[in-house]
Amino acid sequence: MIPFFLSLIALIFGSFVFQFFLPPVLLLKGAAILFVPAIYFYGCVSLPFPLMLALTFVTGFLNDLLLVPQAKDHVDYPAGVSVLVYLVPGLIMHGLRPLFLRHRWELHWLLAEIGAALTPFLLLAQYAILSIERTEFFYSNVIVWRIIGPGLISLVIAPCVFFILTPLSHVLGYRPGLPLAR
Amino acid sequence: MKSSTITAVGIFAVLVILLFLLPQTTRQQLQGALYQWISPILRTGASVQQELGGVRGGLKRLDELERENQQLKLENEQLRATNSLLNNLETEVNRLNRALGFREQSPFKLLPARVISRESATWWNTCTISRGSKDGIATDMAVVTENGLAGKITTVGKDVAVVLLVSDESLRVSVSIEGTQEQGIVSGTRASSNYAPDLRIRFLSKTANLKTGMKVLTAGAGGVFPSGLVLGTVKDFSVRELEGVASVTPTVDLADLQDVFVIIRQK
Repeated sequence: MIPFFLSLIALIFGSFVFQFFLPPVLLLKGAAILFVPAIYFYGCVSLPFPLMLALTFVTGFLNDLLLVPQAKDHVDYPAGVSVLVYLVPGLIMHGLRPLFLRHRWELHWLLAEIGAALTPFLLLAQYAILSIERTEFFYSNVIVWRIIGPGLISLVIAPCVFFILTPLSHVLGYRPGLPLAR
Repeated sequence: MKSSTITAVGIFAVLVILLFLLPQTTRQQLQGALYQWISPILRTGASVQQELGGVRGGLKRLDELERENQQLKLENEQLRATNSLLNNLETEVNRLNRALGFREQSPFKLLPARVISRESATWWNTCTISRGSKDGIATDMAVVTENGLAGKITTVGKDVAVVLLVSDESLRVSVSIEGTQEQGIVSGTRASSNYAPDLRIRFLSKTANLKTGMKVLTAGAGGVFPSGLVLGTVKDFSVRELEGVASVTPTVDLADLQDVFVIIRQK
């Protein structure tokens, strides 16, 4: 279990760095291509609760350290806020773990799509926090696309991530809900 | 509820509280250290991107290169002429300043740096450059290109630094409009990105008669940005209930930022 957990952290970290080199999708008004939520949501459905919390902590903190500029004076989004932002959809996904443990491909696909549908929640929460902190509600259709767009892209990415990570977990000896391999 | 679950929730809550209690300088240092740690990956990625760009550039046709060469020669002549004119002006300004008893301003030293990554965050516009504290870079230093202001340094590692770009909503720069007495604060909007920057000047007077194409220059208030740096040109001007607001087209191409200069203050 622990090797798989550590490999998920390594994959999340690697995805954050890889995303630096991915340009936004101009067709979707500059929506970002995000791999991290899909990997994180897989961790939420596959790992037991304590490790899911640990994964949430690491993912949220890395998100803020790598993506949010930390100025020395006033910061409207301090490093650590994303831990709570990731926690909410993470708990929803973890609540669906019994479905994951049935090990049927169509249920895994469904969970991946639910994860993709929850991806805009992360961006919406960040947008809401910034709007409250900056005391200005700025709205335009670009904002809508920036929130929904990554979710639409994740509808394609998330199932692929799920179907790659399941064999990886088996290779690393983690088979939740399945008899131990001899 | 299982005892392991309660313990996990307790540890998680304590860690989150500790995280929120961290001083901002510690968070900044952690960010600097993390960027320093991943800088070799960013440099390698930037080199690969540059190589790919070089291959595309090499496919240009010969006559295009010939035309480009002639254009560059012409621009070079123009720049030489402008430079010589500016040198004369600088001497003249210094002489007048001394004559008026003003303290002579320290000259700025420009440190060249290469952009090694552009962060893909949805609500923040930043990039990473290949220079850090060992080169004398510190937070809040202005970053420019030959076309004008690009942003300011927010986080510094040993040989890497994060630049908050002018297209970001949280970077506010006091500006003046060339040829007028108007001053305002320019910042990006939340919908602004490096690919589609959306900059606005706020707090202008309602009677400001701004025209499209007027130059927007830094005013020098606040001490972070020296005055007179070009930031962009006025795109349009509108009057709101309490203020005048102007849209700005930045002069720096933020989507294709490759080489920048950090203004190092000399004492």
